[in-house]
Amino acid sequence: METNIIVTGVGGQGSILASHIIAEAALKEHGETCRVRVGETFGAAQRGGAVASHVRIGEGVYGPLLGRGTADLIIALEPMEALRLSVPYLAAGGTVVMNTGMQVPVDVKVGAVEYPSLEAIQGALQRLGKRVVAFDGGELASEAGSAKVLSMVMLGAAFASGLLPFCEETVLSVVAAKVPQKTIDTNLEAFALGKKTYQQAVHA
Amino acid sequence: MASVVLQPAGHREVLMGNEAIARGAVEAGLQLMAAYPGTPSSEVGEVLLSAAPESDYYVEWSLNEKVAFEVAAGAALTGARTLCAMKNAGLNVAMDTFMTLPYGGVKGGMVVVVADDPDAHYSSNEQDTRLLAAYAEIPCLEPENQQEAKDMTKAAFALSEDLELPVMLRSVSRISHASGDVLFGEARAERNEIGFNKHYEMPYRWDVYGPPGAVNKHKWLHTALVRAQAKANESPFNTLVKPKGAKLGVLATGLGAAYAKEALNRLGVGDDVAFLKLGMVFPFADKLAKAFLQGLDTVLVIEEGDPLCENFLRALAQEDARNVKIFGKGISRIFEPYGELNTDIVTAAIAPYFGAQAPAAAKEAIRQELAKLVIPRSSTLCAGCSHLGTYCALRTALSAYPEDAVHIVNGDIGCYEQAGYGIFGGDLQIDNSASRRYQAESPYDVLDTLYVMGSGISMAHGQSKLGYDKGKLVAVCGDSTFFHAILPALANAVYNHSNICFLVLDNRWTCMTGHQPNPTTGLDAYAQEYPRMEILPIIKAMGVEFVRTADAYQKEDAVSAIADALAFEGPAVVVMEGECQLQRQRRVKKTMAKTYVNAEACSGCKTCVQLGCPATRFNAAEKKAGIDGVLCVDCGLCQQYCTENAIRVRRR
Ligand SMILES: Cc1ncc(C[n+]2csc(CCOP(=O)(O)OP(=O)(O)O)c2C)c(N)n1
Repeated sequence: METNIIVTGVGGQGSILASHIIAEAALKEHGETCRVRVGETFGAAQRGGAVASHVRIGEGVYGPLLGRGTADLIIALEPMEALRLSVPYLAAGGTVVMNTGMQVPVDVKVGAVEYPSLEAIQGALQRLGKRVVAFDGGELASEAGSAKVLSMVMLGAAFASGLLPFCEETVLSVVAAKVPQKTIDTNLEAFALGKKTYQQAVHA
Repeated sequence: MASVVLQPAGHREVLMGNEAIARGAVEAGLQLMAAYPGTPSSEVGEVLLSAAPESDYYVEWSLNEKVAFEVAAGAALTGARTLCAMKNAGLNVAMDTFMTLPYGGVKGGMVVVVADDPDAHYSSNEQDTRLLAAYAEIPCLEPENQQEAKDMTKAAFALSEDLELPVMLRSVSRISHASGDVLFGEARAERNEIGFNKHYEMPYRWDVYGPPGAVNKHKWLHTALVRAQAKANESPFNTLVKPKGAKLGVLATGLGAAYAKEALNRLGVGDDVAFLKLGMVFPFADKLAKAFLQGLDTVLVIEEGDPLCENFLRALAQEDARNVKIFGKGISRIFEPYGELNTDIVTAAIAPYFGAQAPAAAKEAIRQELAKLVIPRSSTLCAGCSHLGTYCALRTALSAYPEDAVHIVNGDIGCYEQAGYGIFGGDLQIDNSASRRYQAESPYDVLDTLYVMGSGISMAHGQSKLGYDKGKLVAVCGDSTFFHAILPALANAVYNHSNICFLVLDNRWTCMTGHQPNPTTGLDAYAQEYPRMEILPIIKAMGVEFVRTADAYQKEDAVSAIADALAFEGPAVVVMEGECQLQRQRRVKKTMAKTYVNAEACSGCKTCVQLGCPATRFNAAEKKAGIDGVLCVDCGLCQQYCTENAIRVRRR
């Protein structure tokens, strides 16, 4: 077995936490047989830079980074980051779970470049992979009780894809262990909302 | 919950490389740790600090790497097991002591963790510090993954004590900041005894000048190195797998071994390949390497950084295996001597030697086409960062000078270095005039020179003494940088009658590396209150005539202070005050911002956008500015710079 996942977003959105929850849940279920790696790039992450975590689970895993065109699943907290990582990494049979809320880079604000339309980004993702599920995760996070739980909404949706190699009970126990005590309920609610949204989107 | 590094033996967890290193030190019975933060090394200190209240070791944030190294060295001379950690560039700062300490060695185990940064994700350069371990003639270990990072750290203490030499553990970003599954080992219960003996095993052991003198101590170091080389040949971190009749060999070090294993798997080859994996890279495991070379005709060397082991292998082959062809990063290049490796690069580079072809990713043409749709995301300062106020005030003050004036703003290292990052989305241009004025359209183009910690002020001073007269000379630095490298540089500029304007951007924390406390914070490393060490009186004590503070968030105050400093003849210093906004926001509960743009009043002039704050928005179609209420912290800066009074504060 080998699973290759990327979690990406903009610094401060919580993508690193989500990637570590995936890694820890995978370790809990497959620790005896598989290696787990999380490779990260987060230049100036705290300051709104692009963040991407490569999560790898498998018997033959040694290095921290995915190969080109090998991502089974890309969880993106921001559309441009979905595209940035999908272009090199998404597998032809891969799935993208994407939040549609944009974070416009300074390069656009100063007029140096233009942010492509959401349709253009989604169209591009469709051409690269097999399945794209996009929705407004920020709204669901607010519904769950806090804009800060966006990454849990996206994790819930990604879980619903069936591509994460562990059961729900395991991942929820890791979520509960990794988030601040007071926010456990909000995080679990966010996970559930994301999961439901994915299921509805796919069956619609 | 107990700190992750204090979990019992047998525990298994996904650890970041730096956490694994910290755990290794705990397992070894660490007694003292000193570090200056630097990405990607800082978490070693942070994790050890988090576990310190429940442990018996001491940890400090020293004020620079040379100090940290000396703190750890001094304690190791008295028998303690000590650790110091730093980023690649940090070792350059510690070099003086680093080069000389090995002449007498240490008594307790001393481990120096240096986190390199191939691909310069977080650094000014890509230097390979393994070469500096070889230069200082001390053993160097290089982990392949997080498990090895832990195991090697623990083993490094024993090795250091055995050889009586400090040992370097060289990590890289993809080890330190990547995570992997780690199985915890037993923690040593006993602690080294502390004592001091001036003539321990050698006269004047801890005094390079004392008889028998430095050369004899250097000679002693070489006898220790012979023992170290024997250790390398037997090290459990160095392994040779050599199938019968192998003609092709792979030598891989540290993380390079992980990439090599994956690449061989991907190519479906490797069963008949000789594989030498080196984790202890200095001294070079010569006997092992000789056995490896025997009978081979081709060797591929895979190492992250410079061709260190490759060159050792070449030297050995020159004596022993002249006909073997060696490919790596040096003479016969199959890898670029810059940037970092990954499995794709390694697979592509080695495939031809196996008569194989690297598997290509599907849809390559589509990928190439769609890459054009990807736009850059240049990093920015945070919403409401005090540095935004300082840079906007500086630009305003400098704009009062004639239009053809070519000012030089010498940068330094910290969050405020982002004022030299530029905008990646723009067109990059060159120009060959000797002097030319450029207009900065955002704070991200304000700095004109930018190198390493502490370098800005002395560069400005050099320009001043040369008589540069085409514009004003400015330098900036942060509060942590002030104590790290500025003190002697500022004293030098003052003593030598400089004529520069120097801004100290005091945001009270060492922010860039993750908000460690420093003398200006008012907290010690253990987060206990401690009186703030004020920067202004220190500067005054140096005899600077023009020195004042200004509030980075008050436009008038900031602009007039900087304007006065620019006009002053002689060294003029302004301490720009404004606590890091992220740290402030952690205390003050953030609600939706009250600041907004009145669209009718907005003229679309983009002055607020030029402030460079991530919370300002601009609707290009309607030519109207806006504010992101989630990001905005109501700092009031954009409001003060708006020329149309269009930015207002909602009353609730
Ligand atoms: C020799 C060296 N050590 C450490 C670092 C890592 N580093 C980058 S910025 C910085 C300190 C920044 O603190 P400060 O000067 O207070 O500026 P701030 O980030 O708070 O604006 C450090 C330690 C480095 N770049 N070089």
